[in-house]
Amino acid sequence: MVIAFVFLASMTLICSLGVVLSRSIIHSALFMSGAFLGIAGFYIMLNAPALAAFQVLIYVGAVTVVILFGIMFTQKPQAKHYRTIISRQLWPGFFVALGVGAFLAYIVTIQDWAGNEPGNGLRSVEAFGENLLGVNGAPPIFGLLFEVASVLLLVAVIAAIVVSRRRVGDGVDRGVEE
Amino acid sequence: MPPQVQQFVDTLNAALPLEGYLVVGAIMFAIGAWGALIRRNAVVVFMCIELMINGVNLSLVSFADYLPDAGGFGAGYAVLVIAVAAAEVAVGLAIVLAVYRSRKTVNVDEINLLKG
Repeated sequence: MVIAFVFLASMTLICSLGVVLSRSIIHSALFMSGAFLGIAGFYIMLNAPALAAFQVLIYVGAVTVVILFGIMFTQKPQAKHYRTIISRQLWPGFFVALGVGAFLAYIVTIQDWAGNEPGNGLRSVEAFGENLLGVNGAPPIFGLLFEVASVLLLVAVIAAIVVSRRRVGDGVDRGVEE
Repeated sequence: MPPQVQQFVDTLNAALPLEGYLVVGAIMFAIGAWGALIRRNAVVVFMCIELMINGVNLSLVSFADYLPDAGGFGAGYAVLVIAVAAAEVAVGLAIVLAVYRSRKTVNVDEINLLKG
C-alpha cells in the first residue's frame, strides 16, 4: 500500500507540476493525462474501481482529447520562453497557492482522523450503481442529481455548438462552401 | 525472516492514514490554483482547473472510503462532479474557440474587452 501510494502520489504531483511549468502546451496536456492516471490509481486504492474506470474513460480519454483539439485550433507558433507563457503574477501567484496549499494541508492534518479505517467504500459495481440512482438505501437525492446532470450535459452540448458555431460569411472556411 | 525485516514489510503493507490522501488532494489543488493564476494561455488555465477539480474529487472519494458514516456515497458525488467538469470543459473550450476567432489570441491578459 505504501509503495503504491508513494508511486501514485509522486506521479500525480510531478505531472501536476509539469502541467504548470512545461513550456510546450502539448506537453502540458500530456502531463495532465498523467496526473489523471495517478488519480485513477488512487481511486482503485480507495475501493472505487468503477470510478477509476470512469476517470480513465472520461478524463484520460475524452477530456484530454478535447483539450488537444482546443490546442490544435487555437495555437499559433510563438516563442516558448517563460517570459511569454507566464503572466506577471508569477511570485504573487506562487505565494497565494503556497498559502492555500499549506492552509488546506494544515486543516486536514490537525483533525483527529484516528479510528477511521478504510474499506467503507461501495466496492461492488452493483452497490455503486444503486448509489448513483438513489435506490436501495442510497439517499434519494441522487436520482434527482442524476437527472439534473443529464440535463446539464445536454444544455452544455447545445451551448458548445451555439457558442463555437461559425456564422455565415464570418471568416474564411477553406474548401467549404457556405 | 528477521523481525526487523518482518516489521518493515508489515509497515509497507499497512493501510495508510486518511491524511495522506487529503494532503495529496490539497497539494494538487494548490498546484492547479498556482497554474490558473500564472499561466497566460486560456487552454492551460482550463487544464489547471481540471487539476483542482481532481484534487477535490480525490478528497471526496477518500472521505467516502474512510469515514464510516459517509456510507460510501462520496464516489457518487464524484461521478456528478466529473459530469459537471466535462460540461464545463465543453462550454469553456467553445468560448476559447470563439474568442480566438474574433481576437486571434487566447492569452488571458490580452483579452480585455470588458475592461473599462
